[in-house]
Amino acid sequence: MQPNSPPNPIRRQLLTSITSLLGFVGVIFAAIPFLSAFKPSARAEAAGAPVKVNIGKLSQGELMTVEWRGMPVFVYKVSNEAQNVLSSDKNKLADPNSAQEQQPQYAKNDTRSRKEGIAVLKGVCTHLGCAPKFYPEAISQDFDPNWQGGFFCPCHGSKFDLAGRVYANVPAPTNLEVPPHYFESDSMLVIGSDGAS
Amino acid sequence: MSLLALLAISFFSGLSFTASEYKCGSIECYEFSADTKDKESLQRGLSAYMNYCYGCHSLKYSRYKRVAEDLAIPLDIFEQNLIFDDSKIGDLMQISLNESKAIELLGAKPPDLTLEARLRSPEWIYTYLDTFYEDSSRPYGVNNKVYVNVSMPHVLEDIQSELSEEDYDRYIADITNFLTYVSDPSAETRKQLGIYVILFLLIFTAFAYLVYREFKKDLK
Amino acid sequence: MATDTRTKRLLNWVDFRFPLTEVFERHLSKYPAPTNLNIWYLFGFLLIVVLAMQIVTGLWLMMNYTNSAEEAFSSVEYIMRDVEYGWLIRYMHAAGASAFFALIYLHMFRGMMYGSYQKPRELIWLGGWFTYLILMAEGFTGYVLPWGQMSFWAAQVIISLFSSIPVVGEDLATWIRGDYLVSGITLSRLFAFHVVLLPILLIAIVFFHILALHEIGSNNPDGIDVKKHLDEDGVPLDTKPFFPYDISHDIFALGVFLIIFCSVVFFFPTGGGYIIEYVNYEPANPLSTPAHIVPSWYYTPFYAMLRAVDFPLFGLTAKFLGFATMMAAVAIFAVLPWLDRSPVKSIKYKGIFSKTFLGIFVVSFFALCYLGMVPPTETKTLLSKIFTIGYFSYFLLMPIYTRIEKCKPVPERVAQV
Repeated sequence: MQPNSPPNPIRRQLLTSITSLLGFVGVIFAAIPFLSAFKPSARAEAAGAPVKVNIGKLSQGELMTVEWRGMPVFVYKVSNEAQNVLSSDKNKLADPNSAQEQQPQYAKNDTRSRKEGIAVLKGVCTHLGCAPKFYPEAISQDFDPNWQGGFFCPCHGSKFDLAGRVYANVPAPTNLEVPPHYFESDSMLVIGSDGAS
Repeated sequence: MSLLALLAISFFSGLSFTASEYKCGSIECYEFSADTKDKESLQRGLSAYMNYCYGCHSLKYSRYKRVAEDLAIPLDIFEQNLIFDDSKIGDLMQISLNESKAIELLGAKPPDLTLEARLRSPEWIYTYLDTFYEDSSRPYGVNNKVYVNVSMPHVLEDIQSELSEEDYDRYIADITNFLTYVSDPSAETRKQLGIYVILFLLIFTAFAYLVYREFKKDLK
Repeated sequence: MATDTRTKRLLNWVDFRFPLTEVFERHLSKYPAPTNLNIWYLFGFLLIVVLAMQIVTGLWLMMNYTNSAEEAFSSVEYIMRDVEYGWLIRYMHAAGASAFFALIYLHMFRGMMYGSYQKPRELIWLGGWFTYLILMAEGFTGYVLPWGQMSFWAAQVIISLFSSIPVVGEDLATWIRGDYLVSGITLSRLFAFHVVLLPILLIAIVFFHILALHEIGSNNPDGIDVKKHLDEDGVPLDTKPFFPYDISHDIFALGVFLIIFCSVVFFFPTGGGYIIEYVNYEPANPLSTPAHIVPSWYYTPFYAMLRAVDFPLFGLTAKFLGFATMMAAVAIFAVLPWLDRSPVKSIKYKGIFSKTFLGIFVVSFFALCYLGMVPPTETKTLLSKIFTIGYFSYFLLMPIYTRIEKCKPVPERVAQV
């Protein structure tokens, strides 16, 4: 059949627009639960809860790897010699003063640590996520004849110093990330929380 | 159409049919309607549950943290007072009950109670907690009218003898409220959200109706 | 203006390579729908919406569900508690299953009432029937996945039905289970069917169903062949384009449907035990059967028939006959187009016998639905037998009563309102 033409085209246009708009809003609202369901679940949250590490037995120059949220976190007790290297070897670094937000405010210092002498670093290369290897001694290496000690990523050759600061002219763009952490006591380190502030 | 409606009515009225046995074991259920909005009752119920039931009955699908948040209990207070082992606040409410020992002692494995209120109904739990009676033929000297020959001892016996009847009823009502909450923790959020959803849909449908009527004019 | 021509150019580019505009106009915007369609013609659209919803919610559930006997039950509780809005997604999926069946039963009844299965719509009807079969399989396999007591024992009972088939039955049931009793192995294969095989079949068949419908065109409450009178463009006179006339109707219906559906999801998610059975809140336990095992409400008519046949016949066991009766009750829909010998389509113009037998069918269906839910007693089994006969009489006597009854004349054109 041939439908008649609308008696009031403006009213029709208005009603159709409002309904379409409401329908659109409805679809957006309906999408919220489905998008929210992708967030870490309570189980993932619980598994990602802060971890406590006893660092009382960590000797100078020793590194331990702690798992937090499924990724390696390096806890490293800086030796005295290394301390000196850290302050002398700045000119080769891309971001020696930790200008980029790769650490909490309390770790934005020369040693990138909350407590002098204890480095806490996410063991995830800032290039493409490989785990860097630890080469603490300042001896000549295949990848760098003038190696001063630090972390070297075997995937694409990024280099970091002992405080996790990235060298200039390597693939990784930024320093290794310092995760939130605090010291419950001298020997008890908590990774994953800034502690009571 | 009216025939259909009549059929539908007679059909659904038939559904109120109940089996010949009682819903609460050997007796009718006591009247009880759970109130999961009453946060104080839920907190009392939680505390009673943790102290008297949790030793044997886990709530293994629920997490401490969720309960603390839903019942408006600060996490540190919850951690200090209501977590008895080295569990973390985000963990599932599992207990370290020696199963074989429990079976040896009680004759049965105490079930997990996370979903008990959905499985049995809140009335059932309430009635169950209220109908322990002395029965010397049973190993613990008590029997229950709802769960006949239950292997569980009457753990609230001391409480029941200390409290007045009214206070005891409130006590078990608190526990039942808590178990009702924990069986369906999203219930309150769900109902609240539901109101907004239905309101939105009413508005949408009203406009959709106007559009429908608008276009129908063309066809006359 | 500039964008207008650009869009048009892009459209032309696509149309040259793929019949986009043609498909869109043919199946949606310009699809000619009879002018006298009534409320019974809404359910097809709503079924498509529910199908889409089940696919989306199902996809999300699948992301968090674990299909092993050890973890299935707790993974469902994980979805209900730990996954943000997981409860909503699961309740939607569970209530969606019931909505799916409610709508498909209404949709089928519409077809029976207005003779939508008659020539030349036999293939549309068969496609719809096949959709219904797959949906039943979807319902059953999905029901098992939460791995509660009801899941387990429903699987046990339904699969055991196959063991009633003479000679090969026992081996067949074991083969279906992949084990000597229902186990995690069975769960895994039912899961695979539920999320991969059956949905693919379902989508394919629905596609076929709609394509066949759009080839022939919709039937209407009067059963008038609208294609007999065309306008100068070859469009049937008694039709109007789907867009905007039917879509505005359908969207309004969708609003009403969603109000009902969301009321259930948000306020009665377990549907008083008819959408999610309370017994299913206890994990599967192969050593203890719950007191009453009842299938979901949408299967109970057939379950009642299964129980109604409690006598052996012609050397066949009652168990097998019951199973066969149940299967026949579902299968018989397929031959409906060839049972109906009436010259008219719609019940409006059919004779008194057709009306009576359709009435008997409806009463029997609802009665069996109820009888399948309650524990059997002697009287109830007798009633089940009577209603089973009523159910089948609609189909089996149809070739006779549709031939002898006197029909009213069908108008040539749809009456103008």
